Amino acid sequence: MSALGNIARLPASAIETANIMLTADDARIGTTPRDVVWTHRKTTLYRYRSNKRKHPVPILLVFALINRADIFDLRPGHSFVEYLLDDGFDVYLLDWGVPNDEDGETGLDYYVCDALPWGMREAQRSSGSVEVSLVGWCIGGALCAMHAGIEGSDSPARNLVLLTTPVDTSESLYTSWVGRESFDVDFIADSWPTVPGRAVDFANKLMKPVTNFWTTNRRLAQGVHDGTANREAHQAMAKWVADNPPFPGRAFREWVTWMYKQNQLVRGRMRLRGERVDLGRIEQNLLVVTAGADHITPPSNTVPLLHLVRSEDVTHFDRPGGHIGLMAGSRARKETWPDLADWLADRSGP
Amino acid sequence: MADPASRESRPSPEEQVRILYEGAETQTATAMEQLVASQGFGELLARMTENLVALSKVGSDVGDLVLRNLGIAGRGDITRLGRQLNRTEDKLELLLQRIEELQDELNEERAERATKGAAKPERAVSRKS
Repeated sequence: MSALGNIARLPASAIETANIMLTADDARIGTTPRDVVWTHRKTTLYRYRSNKRKHPVPILLVFALINRADIFDLRPGHSFVEYLLDDGFDVYLLDWGVPNDEDGETGLDYYVCDALPWGMREAQRSSGSVEVSLVGWCIGGALCAMHAGIEGSDSPARNLVLLTTPVDTSESLYTSWVGRESFDVDFIADSWPTVPGRAVDFANKLMKPVTNFWTTNRRLAQGVHDGTANREAHQAMAKWVADNPPFPGRAFREWVTWMYKQNQLVRGRMRLRGERVDLGRIEQNLLVVTAGADHITPPSNTVPLLHLVRSEDVTHFDRPGGHIGLMAGSRARKETWPDLADWLADRSGP
Repeated sequence: MADPASRESRPSPEEQVRILYEGAETQTATAMEQLVASQGFGELLARMTENLVALSKVGSDVGDLVLRNLGIAGRGDITRLGRQLNRTEDKLELLLQRIEELQDELNEERAERATKGAAKPERAVSRKS
């Protein structure tokens, strides 16, 4: 197209781009049919039933506390849940919900010692399986690792899959932000019963300010202009990114202090309800997935785990992509999901 | 005279502008990432966060005080009620789990008894024959 033609099309492209951005809330995400199996406080356990079930051990998906678990089931045709169901797995999803001020006293111990084991128990009861496969992503992965680090072989988890999970935060940008003495996490947690999700999201985006605040939108506009933009994909992701549940104050204080100020998890000094979280007690079949371009949890934050666990079956996939793109990006369906499903299938037999 | 093949492979002015712009954007992004990774930015962020939290706390405390003086339940009162509900829910959950465990034990015992009961008459029959 001529330069003049391109300029003439600019207003139409701008309007279309604005429309995509302004109507992102209308995107349909998390649409795979599911049943509510169990609820406690704000936590809900969902079950997705596979009509092709061939693996006896069900999968329990656990996501972080700062975004919604819908990312596992982003949109029809591009959903990890859908992929697993199609592959013959029975899938459960532990959704932490949206905490309110009354949940300000909820600490990491609630997630690791109550909600997660109780969710696993309900998954076992409803599926009839003695064991489950835990798939944790980001903070969700850390919670799963903490659970396995406390329970060891007593945990009903047969397989443990940790996706971009922070374990050793000594080389994290977060450590230079919130790990410093002048960042008064106690003052924040005392002032705010729950830390607003928007604030956490803003801090996350600030790690790559130009890319997150400008380039994403510029690329969308360019894609619209060139006719290559995928409206559904962009809107689904934009809707998910903008939905940030608050972080319970106590859990925020503990997460920042124990993980970033004191780096307790990798040092084996973390204690939950008097029990030491010892990563050396992890005996489950372990799959660790890192993303080469992950700026939130770079591989160096996760890899030390590989040398700490007692598991005999340890696998590490280092894939291209970012923290979220690894599992929800356009290439995830071809480059990440099949390997995860194959790894799980080999270890989910009777 | 220029070779027609090389003229074809040369980017158009529009493409050149795009390449230049993208290069500038990438460089800015890298520079900004270096900036946010600096110690000074970390310090600034910590101070800014503290100030923002303090301001929002003053605002919400004032709002709550107004509500309390008007005799209307404030945020704190609702939060307290919510916490009580949470504690009740915790107790109910533990109770439910205990009941389910007892129910499972009972079912196992019943099944065991039924197996034994079914086995006895068979032995009696075999003795008669």
